[in-house]
Order: sequence, then structure tokens, then C-alpha cells
Amino acid sequence: MADTTKEGVSRRGFLSWLGLAWTAFSAAMAASGIALARFMFPNVLFEPPMSFKVGRPEEFALGVDERFKPQGVWIVKTTKEIFALSTVCTHLGCTPNWLSAEQKFKCPCHGSGYYVSGVNFEGPTPRPLERFAVFVADDGQVVVDKNRIFQYEKGQWTDPQSHILLS
Amino acid sequence: MIKIIINWLALPYMYVSIAIVLFFLTIRSRKLWTGKAGGLLLLGSILFLAYSLTDEHFRGLVTRPDNVPIVMLLFAVGFFVWFALKQAHENDERVMQGKPLDEVAWKDKVFVWPNLVYTELICMVVATIVLVVWSIYIPAPLEQPANPSSSPNPSKAPWYFLGLQEMLVYFDPWIAGVLLPGFIILGLMATPYIDKNPKGNGYYTFKERKFAITIYLFGFSIMWVLLIINGTFLRGPNWNFFGPYEPWDIHKLVPLNNVNLSEFIYVKFLGTGLPKHWFFREIFGIALVVGYFAVGHWYLAKKLLKRFHDLMGPVRFHLMAFLLLVMVATIAKMYLRWTMNLKYIIGISEFFFNI
Amino acid sequence: MPGLKDVMESVKESQVWKSVARNPLPSNARTRALAVLNNVFLHLHPVRAPQSGIRLKYTWCMGGLTFFVFLVEVITGILLMFYYRPTVEFAYADIIDLREQAPLGLMRELHRWGAHTMVITVWLHMMRVFMTGAYKPPREFNWVVGVVLLLLTLLLSFTGYLLPWDQLAMWAVTVGTNMARATPFVGYEGPGAALLKLGDINLVHSADDVRFALLAGRFVGEATLLRFYVLHCVAIPFVATILMAVHFWRIRKDGGISGPM
Repeated sequence: MADTTKEGVSRRGFLSWLGLAWTAFSAAMAASGIALARFMFPNVLFEPPMSFKVGRPEEFALGVDERFKPQGVWIVKTTKEIFALSTVCTHLGCTPNWLSAEQKFKCPCHGSGYYVSGVNFEGPTPRPLERFAVFVADDGQVVVDKNRIFQYEKGQWTDPQSHILLS
Repeated sequence: MIKIIINWLALPYMYVSIAIVLFFLTIRSRKLWTGKAGGLLLLGSILFLAYSLTDEHFRGLVTRPDNVPIVMLLFAVGFFVWFALKQAHENDERVMQGKPLDEVAWKDKVFVWPNLVYTELICMVVATIVLVVWSIYIPAPLEQPANPSSSPNPSKAPWYFLGLQEMLVYFDPWIAGVLLPGFIILGLMATPYIDKNPKGNGYYTFKERKFAITIYLFGFSIMWVLLIINGTFLRGPNWNFFGPYEPWDIHKLVPLNNVNLSEFIYVKFLGTGLPKHWFFREIFGIALVVGYFAVGHWYLAKKLLKRFHDLMGPVRFHLMAFLLLVMVATIAKMYLRWTMNLKYIIGISEFFFNI
Repeated sequence: MPGLKDVMESVKESQVWKSVARNPLPSNARTRALAVLNNVFLHLHPVRAPQSGIRLKYTWCMGGLTFFVFLVEVITGILLMFYYRPTVEFAYADIIDLREQAPLGLMRELHRWGAHTMVITVWLHMMRVFMTGAYKPPREFNWVVGVVLLLLTLLLSFTGYLLPWDQLAMWAVTVGTNMARATPFVGYEGPGAALLKLGDINLVHSADDVRFALLAGRFVGEATLLRFYVLHCVAIPFVATILMAVHFWRIRKDGGISGPM
């Protein structure tokens, strides 16, 4: 066996350097892998605004207002409150249709059905539609803020921001 | 009258049951139908198609441009399953009579030029002609411009994913869209490492690989192709079931009030109402699922497939048994939905965890 | 007057012909072997193969057809790229123009029906390989590569689905990518996602989960179209081509076309 100590690098020392080098190499590969994955998440989104005004509370008729469906909300007015329902089916994200004759939201993709309140009652959907934050701005208009979501199954529909109470 | 009967037979639990029974019948009686009966079967299916084309709704459905490949797929899968089983049966007969396999009888080496390159050239020319003629006669479909605020009714995934979309009716997306496809891919990749049977390597045979071929053909033809057919032709507006001759009525009302297992037990049988804490509420479902897999693994390993267990070793065997049990459980859940409107066996929507 | 035969003869003797073809036309054992060996495309094949394996009855030519249809897709796809702009503004109109205005007006049809055909042939190829037990040793790994190629075929078709930017495209992709939303732990509606949080802040939400990376946004929009376009035209074909090379190479290295061992 060759005597490696003569050259100043022992066998053991060489192996530990080798181990360090491989560790560093693997770490660098992993880091670049993570950086590459991060590259796929854009920093800036070119999407429509998440918060917008929809009109004064008294302008809405009782029932479901479909005017803001393109922005992703139904404004629902009952005798007690106004709330904003998300138009995204909680099953797989299709847009349900409002069937006024049957007084329900029905999703065309997999047949999920929701009451006016947004609570699910038929089909494969696991949970009710989500509600967005609504409040009355200084100028008396209702503002829908899609950044904040209220989920029924988490008991969030009692939150004061999840609806506007009508006196 | 025939149409009413066929519409009735096309109810999900009817036709899936029929398909499963037919599948095992054809496997058993392959001697019969790999012969002349196969031709009769083909003739029968063509007659059925011809008869069905007289129905306006059916014709509209089958001749939709995007559905043409599915009809092709149906006939192609039928033909090639028949063709493969026929060759397998012939080889099995040869082995029984003590003759060499067909592949062995033809094992002499020949020059690739011209024997193979010309075959390939002819295949390419035929494929090109088929594609060009197809493209000339059937324009590629284009619907209305994309509109994020209105989903078409019904909205369907690409046809080759319709089997998975069908699963979405019975399972939550994380099972139907992530877990089950994951198991399919994993199972396919693991196949050569699970299958330790040294026989049947490189030639058509059935007898020497009964189990492997039966499972594979069942998975491919019933759980993949049949569900694609189902999703294409039998699922209509609001994702309701429609018979092949039943017009797609948007207002067809089908009550879909599905009930969780916990509600069946606590509300219907015990009459006590649901417990507050999710663990006690779902304890029966959890017990059922855990019990199913535990007993299933035990029964397969110790009783039903003991032979395989000894041959394959525990790791291979339990991987296979698990995939097999998932396959059976998937069908079982579909039947439970069709017959009892069962929604979830375990339903913990607090954690998005529903089975 | 020189006859046709003499002309052919002089062409075959010319320096240009010889430099291209390298060997005489295949007529005997030696020249047939050379024809396959010396040609970069044909040398995918061995010089000689067992007759049982190259009969149409045995292979159905499904693997070969799949590869051929892939080439058709590459060629028609490149031609389509000359006329198609992957933006919300132009995509739909460009698709209409491909039929109405572009010469021949057939490329999109060829591409779409070719894509469907490729999915079918790939499935049937897998069935043939299974039915002949051709995944058994020593071909296990090539079967695994084949399964990945099958997956890539489906992904290619799926990413191409969005490009016409019609209702079918939009909603098929919405439904398809929403499944990613439910991936355990990395999708914000998947089981386990709610457990990943620091204090009150959810680590996995609609703007940083796996679906967000696929769509480059919270819903299917302009950025998604571009992303799917790049995946469809460059990224997935790139990976698929490499894997195809591995697949074909391994057929040869694992004992050639399958047959009784």
C-alpha cells in the first residue's frame, strides 16, 4: 500500500475533503434547483384589481345581482344583509350558473349545487362558496375586497366584515 | 322500445356491472370468441353503431369532431385486445400440443433492410394518408372565445382525462386528481419490478400470465377506456347521466343529496345527532377504511394469493396488494354513490380531508 | 443515345452521388448491412432482427407509429408557430386565420388529429408491450422510461389544449389545473396545507402554491397562455426527445426487439 502521509495529505484527510466537496456540490445543486423553482413564481401579476366598488346598498334589489360576475362576485341582498359570494365553485373552480327558477347556484362541471346563501347542498363539492369582505366606503358605496375570504366551515361568516347588516 | 331498454341499461350501476361481468366472461371463454365469434362480435358492434346512428341525439354526439377519435379508440382497443388474446390463445394451444411457440418458430434473423424498413415505410404512408383525409373531412373544432365568467355546460376535460374527471364525482380533487393518477403512474412504473413471473417474456400467452394480464386489461379497458366512453357519451349538462338515446335536457333534475357515512350512522341508525368533535364523528369511517386495508392485506397475503406472497416476498406483494385494494375500493365507492348516495366515508372538511 | 439505364449508371458513378450515399444500393447481404449501418437514421435499427419481432402481427408497429406521429406533430407544430401569437388578444383570431387565411388551411387539423392519434397509439403500444411481457428483465427500466413518455404525451396534449383560447380550452385547463390546487401540502386546498403556517400566516395560499406556478397567476389568464405555450412548444418536447433517445437506445442495449428469451 502506498504511503500517502508523505505527500502531506493523509488518506483520511483526503476523504474528508472529498466528502466536503461532494456536500458543497450537492448543496449548490439543491440551491440552484430551488432557485429554478422560485423562477416559476412571478413577482408581479397582471390581473384585475382585487378590490372595487359596486354601488350603494339601497340600489340593489333583493336577491342575486349578476352584474359583477365578470369580476368574480355575486352580490346577494336579503332582507337582513348584503354579502359578496365568490363565483368560483369550491369543487374545481368552474363558474356556477344562477338558476333563478330553482333559486340555486348550479355548477355545470360536476353538478354541485348551492343555496342563495352559498351553502352547498348537492353534488360533489366539499364545502360552501366563499364570501369576500364587504364594507361601506366613505362615499356610501359598497366595496368588495377579494383579498379577504370568509369560509363558512371555519365559522367566519359571523365576522362583521363578511357582510353588511341592513338596519 | 330497444332504445328505452338500452337507455335503462346505460344507468351507471347497470352498465358498469354488465361490463365487469362481460369482461370476466370474455377472459374465461377466450377460446370461443378469439375464433369466429370475434368476427360476429365486430359485426354486432358495427350493426349497433349503424342502428344507433339513426337516432338523432346519438348521431349528433358521435359525429362531433372531437368525439371521432373516441369512437376510433373504442374499436381499436376492442380489436387489439381481441388480436392479442387470439395470438395468446394460439400460443397456449401450441404449448399444449407440444409445438414450439409461434415466435420461436419464426425466430430466424432476417435483414432489416428490406424486411423492416419497408414495413415501416408502408405504415408511415398509411398513417399519413389517414391523417390527411381525416383533416380534410373533419375540421378541428373551435368554440366561442374564452370567457372566464361563463362555464359551458357541461365543461369537460380533454377526452383522455375523462376517466379522472369521472372520479372527481366520487372523490375530492386531491384523491381523484392527485392520488389516483399518482397510483396509476406508480403502479405502471412498478409493474416490471412487481411481476416476478419469469414466463411469458417476449411472446403472447395468457395461460402463463393469467393474473397479470387480467389485472392489466381490467384496469385499461374498464377503469380507463370505459370511463372515457362514459364521460364522453353519457355525461350531459350539469354532469348528469343521460342514456345514449336520451336528449341532453339542461333542466333534467336529478336529486344529488349525498349523505356522509357519519350521518347515516349517527342520524339514521342511532338517532343521536352528530358528535361535535370530528374524531368521534368520523370514527366509524376511519375504522372502516383502516379495517378494509388491514383485512384486505391480511386476506390477500395469507389466503387468496398466498402463492404469490411466497413467490414475491412481502415488499413486492404488499405494494401490489395495496394498488389492487385501491382499485377495488375505487369501484366500491362508485357503487356506494350510485346505490346509497353515500358522499364521504371519512369527511373531515376541517382539514380538507375527505375520502 | 444513352438509355435511362446508362444515365442512372453515370449518376451512381458520379462524385456527388458517391459522397452522399457512401454505399451502393442494397442488393446483397453486404450492401444491405451497410445501408443500415452507415445511415444515421436507419442505424437506430440493428442490421438483422428476428423475424418474429418485426412482423406486423407481433408489434402492430404501434411504437413506430407513435414516433412517426410525434414527428408529424413537430413539423406541423413548427408551421403553426409561424402564424400563431400566444396572447389573449390574438390567439383566438390567429386560430381562425389558420383555417381561413393561411395557405392550405390544414395544419391545425393535422396537428390536432395527430395529437389524438398519438395518445391512442401510445396506449396501444403500451398494451402490446404488456401483452407480450416485453417489460420483463432485462427491459424493466425501458418500460419505466416508456411510462414517463406516456405521461409526457398526455401533458403535451394537455398544454396544447389551452392554445386556441376558446371556451373548451379555458375550462378544460381550469378544471385540470384546479386539481393541482388540491395537492396535499403544496396546494392551498389540499389536506395538510392548513398545517403549514407560521403563527397566523398561512405559508401555502392561492398566490404561492403549486397551481400558481403552473398558471403564473391565480387564474387562467395571459401569463398562463404564454407559460403553456412555452411548455407545449419547447420544454416538454425537449424532455420528450431526450427520453425518446434513451428509449430507443435501450431497446438495442436491452437485447433488441423483444422476443422469446
